[in-house]
Formats: sequence, structure tokens, C-alpha cells
Amino acid sequence: MSDRKIVLFSAFRYLLPSDYENWLEQMAADGWHINRFRQWSSIFMVFRKGEPKRYRFVYDPQVSPRKEYIPTYEQFGWEYLGRMASAHFWRMEYEGERPEAFSDHESIVKRNRRTIAAVSVSFIIFLVTVLTIGILLLFFADTLSNPDRTQLVIAEAFFGVIMITLGVVMVFLRKNESR
Amino acid sequence: MDKYNNLEKARKRYIPMSETMFYILFSLKQERHGYAIMQYVKELTKGRIILGAGTVYSSLGKLESDGLIGSAREEERRKIYAITPLGSEILHEEIARITELYNNVKE
Repeated sequence: MSDRKIVLFSAFRYLLPSDYENWLEQMAADGWHINRFRQWSSIFMVFRKGEPKRYRFVYDPQVSPRKEYIPTYEQFGWEYLGRMASAHFWRMEYEGERPEAFSDHESIVKRNRRTIAAVSVSFIIFLVTVLTIGILLLFFADTLSNPDRTQLVIAEAFFGVIMITLGVVMVFLRKNESR
Repeated sequence: MDKYNNLEKARKRYIPMSETMFYILFSLKQERHGYAIMQYVKELTKGRIILGAGTVYSSLGKLESDGLIGSAREEERRKIYAITPLGSEILHEEIARITELYNNVKE
């Protein structure tokens, strides 16, 4: 049996921060560990086989954390695992009561809204791209050669699908913001 | 005038305030860092409220940017906070509101 497990597009399978945390916790309980999160972890991550552990993971989106961010969590006993885009990851081994980094409903909703804000940045970038290509196709189609036009139509469809997907993700996160 | 505006803004934003905010603000009548706030609140509420790191971090950031608390000093990478006069005013008004509430419902 391999001692490595590669997971692709994990962040797209577990959209809600709490679902993502629970999935990581289950992986650790099955003995699959990840000790470091990186920029591209949402797309590609490697788990290594080890002893099963009971870890509580925390997914915390913070675009520009203040300098006391890491010391504060560390004081509370959390181990820093790095960041994946603007999402910071923490874990803590526990027995008995499961530790929480967000101890009231308001903080959980706020954490989830920060996640929506992060997705909305990508959504806006794709929206602008789709609109720009759309305008080119609508008003300047005559000035384009056939191959160029075909390429633009393909690009429009491709970016359009991504934009719609991001929109659906935002609606889903919004509906589940208190989880 | 500015001072008056700040007070009005803080009232709108913080009164009524969440239990978490109340206890964090209250615990900063004495200088404390994040972890000490959690310990103090845990003790005060006999273990009922155990503030999380993320909640403490974001609440302190919010209270500081609104001027209700300030940074007193730093110690081994830990930032130590204390309540400001504006924070004390808001805390007293909130205590008066809760007291009224309590007086109105008891017997």
C-alpha cells in the first residue's frame, strides 16, 4: 500500500470551510497527514501515511492578517500549517472536547463571509473578462477574422462556465453561512 | 465634535453588544493579552464561555480599530491591550442597559 495520497481540487470538493475542516480531520483520523499548506494546495495536495491522530483543523481566511495573528493562535495552542491563497490553516491535537477557534455564532458567520468575499474577487475578475469578450464579439465581430472569432467564442464559453460556477458557489456559501 | 461623533458611532455599533464583546471589553479594564482574556472570561463564567483564538483575534481588531481599546505595550510578540475612555463609556452604558433589563424582569 502506498504511503502517499494525492488529492486534487480538494477545495472545490468541500466548499464550506467547516466541511473542509471536517474532511481534514477525518483524513488525520485515518492516518493521512498534511503538515504544510501552500498556495496551490487547493488544487494539488499530498498526504502521508502515519499514525491516526485526533486533530481539530481550522480554516481561516485572512487577506492581510495583523502581526499578532500568528502569535495569538499559537498562544491558544494551535499549530500553524501555512496558507492556501488567503486561507490560513491551523490544527490542534485533542482528546475529549473538540477545540474551537470561533467560539460564537457571529465569528463563524464572519469567517464564512470572508470566504465568500475571497470567491467574489475571482468572480468579478471572470465577470469582467466575460463582459470584455462579449463586447468584442457583439460590436467588433465584423473586424475579426473567422479563426479569431472562433477562438473568442471558445474563450467566452470557457470563462462563462467558470464565472457561473463561481456564482453558484457564492450562493451556496451564502445559504450556509452559519454552518 | 469629533469626540461626540465617535461616541455616537460606537453606540450604534456596540449597544446592545454580544456576550463575547462584552466580556472581552470588560476584561480589558485591566491590561491583558489575548490568551489572558480567554482565561479570565473562562474563570468569570465558570467555564461556560471558552473564547476561541479566531474570535479573540477578530474581536480585538474590531474593538481597536473603533477606538474602544488600545495597545498598551508588547511583550514577547504578544500585544497587550487596555480599554480606552471611549471603551469605558460604552461599557458603562451597556452595563446600565443590562441592569435595567434585569431590574425590569426580576419579580
